[in-house]
Amino acid sequence: MCINHNETTTNPSHFEESEQAAAPATHQDIAWNDYRELIKGMRFFDPHIHMVSRTTDDYQAMHQAGIVALIEPAFWVGQPRTGLSSFKDYYSSLVGWERFRSSQFGIKHYCTMGLNSREANNEQLAEQVMEILPLYIYKEGVVGIGEIGFDDQTAAEEKYYRLQLELAKEARLPVQIHTPHRDKKKGTERSMAIAIEHGIDPSWVIVDHNNEETVKSVLDKGFWAAFTIYPFTKMGNERMVKVVEQYGPERIMINSAADWGISDPLAIPKTAALMKMRGISDEAIKLVTYTNAIEAFGKSGQIDVADFESGFSIDQSEKFYGNSILRGGQQPSPVKESILIR
Amino acid sequence: MSDLVKEKLREIITRHISPSEEAWLLQKAVAPPLELMTAFVSCPRFLPKRIVAPEEADEWTLSTEVPGFSITGWSLVRLARVWLLTQLDPSDKEVYVHHIETLFDTAEMNELVALYSALPLLSYPEQWLFRATDAVRSNMGFVFDAIALHNPYPEKYFSELAWNQLVLKTIFNDKPVYLIEGLENRANEKLALTLSDFAHERWAAGRSVPPGVWKLTSKFMNTTLLGDMQYLFESGRPEDRQAAALVCHEATFPSANYLLAKYSDLEKSVKSGQLTWADLEH
Ligand SMILES: [Zn+2]
Repeated sequence: MCINHNETTTNPSHFEESEQAAAPATHQDIAWNDYRELIKGMRFFDPHIHMVSRTTDDYQAMHQAGIVALIEPAFWVGQPRTGLSSFKDYYSSLVGWERFRSSQFGIKHYCTMGLNSREANNEQLAEQVMEILPLYIYKEGVVGIGEIGFDDQTAAEEKYYRLQLELAKEARLPVQIHTPHRDKKKGTERSMAIAIEHGIDPSWVIVDHNNEETVKSVLDKGFWAAFTIYPFTKMGNERMVKVVEQYGPERIMINSAADWGISDPLAIPKTAALMKMRGISDEAIKLVTYTNAIEAFGKSGQIDVADFESGFSIDQSEKFYGNSILRGGQQPSPVKESILIR
Repeated sequence: MSDLVKEKLREIITRHISPSEEAWLLQKAVAPPLELMTAFVSCPRFLPKRIVAPEEADEWTLSTEVPGFSITGWSLVRLARVWLLTQLDPSDKEVYVHHIETLFDTAEMNELVALYSALPLLSYPEQWLFRATDAVRSNMGFVFDAIALHNPYPEKYFSELAWNQLVLKTIFNDKPVYLIEGLENRANEKLALTLSDFAHERWAAGRSVPPGVWKLTSKFMNTTLLGDMQYLFESGRPEDRQAAALVCHEATFPSANYLLAKYSDLEKSVKSGQLTWADLEH
């Protein structure tokens, strides 16, 4: 995606590593039909995906691939928000429309709430956001404070990171940490050190966007290590397989972090298939693609596996605020395999 | 609103929760506004999920203090949220309104239900008129129910136009119109005639109208409505015929009484009090 690290490309998508622009695609050499068989019957939980920037086609594909639940962390929407109202609308959409839309495709939708690091640098607005944040973090289905942490590692980022750690402690919610793209190792260490300084139990903290450089330290300190499988960036899924081979499946989880960038909402099922091909046990696959995320974020008391474990009934004719996901004359769930799109 | 209502609500809540849950709630009720508002949001995390079972005496007290107000069928969380709102200090109007507006702005569906349920108890009632009429436009079922059914706020504060919209939308959404508070008090000619139009549309589409709604027309009987009564009497649905009989009996329009006389069985059961509107409320 971005070739030059210049002025026009300094706002990378969710997990872009601009220096590695020429990195090869990570999982294009196996076809859907090949891996679909390998993961048949498996259930997946994507603990980090930004559905607000995805389409309903993605929801359908995710449901078909076995994703039964997901967590949408509050994050950057691609351009800075100019006022409190747009934060309110965004947060409300995470517990409102997006949750409803997801339910219409048989996927249980949770979210984490927070002020993202990038926008923490607009201190005037950040202050206002912090005022209303408590009204969002306690809502039903909010499973953590996230994604928070560092981006440019500025003083303002640190200030709001610390304030939100205190909020998490008070609300007894897990923390989902976004680690920076630049100077990742230092940023990760600093995030963890500050969390410990605030007296937060590492088993309540999910450190996200890890790589081979950070994983050992994160696991050694007792934190959860989440990995983002995002095309053209540091963590492709072949390397992910090696990480699991080396460190085992304990306290490791994978996610797609799919957003408005070139990303893949099927990153988890695809990686699961690859793990299966490479001989990783079903048990280990289940831990890193399902169980660990539920255990970590379940500390919020907001996840009831009964809500999604055996599927739930979908009525696509239901409405939210009078709006349906169906546009005029559409029929629910067209058959995707058909060559005719009616 | 009197302190008696707050006291009564608290008493009912207390009966449904443990001492530690009660301690949490009481502490939040006297906390600074933002903390109280946060407690409003977080009730489901701290209180049990159950439906409250008010005693008859409770409901009697409540409806004596605030006519039409009822908590039957409420969840404990909804009740606790409404009670917390009554604990917000209303002395500074601007601050008070700002807090309530913030809660509306940031609310998810169940919070909206609690907010609309609380309208009859809030200070500065005219301030919430826009929110309340907006809720009628929303098609979120639970939110609509919270403002339209068993809620005395619309009867007291809605304009005729907004009131009529509320009634029509209730019928349109196939919700029980008789659960609207003040239905008879706010009957008006415009609504009666709009109902007639609405019925004609439905009949043209081969559909029917809930029989109970005809109750709203008896005071405004005229030749147009009389035609509708004739249609109902000839309908194959017994409840349509019963509705027509009740309307014609109540109407002071002489032709209506003559029309009723043609159906002597129905006339008899209405006049004897054997048939009432309550028979059509389902
Ligand atoms: Zn993210």
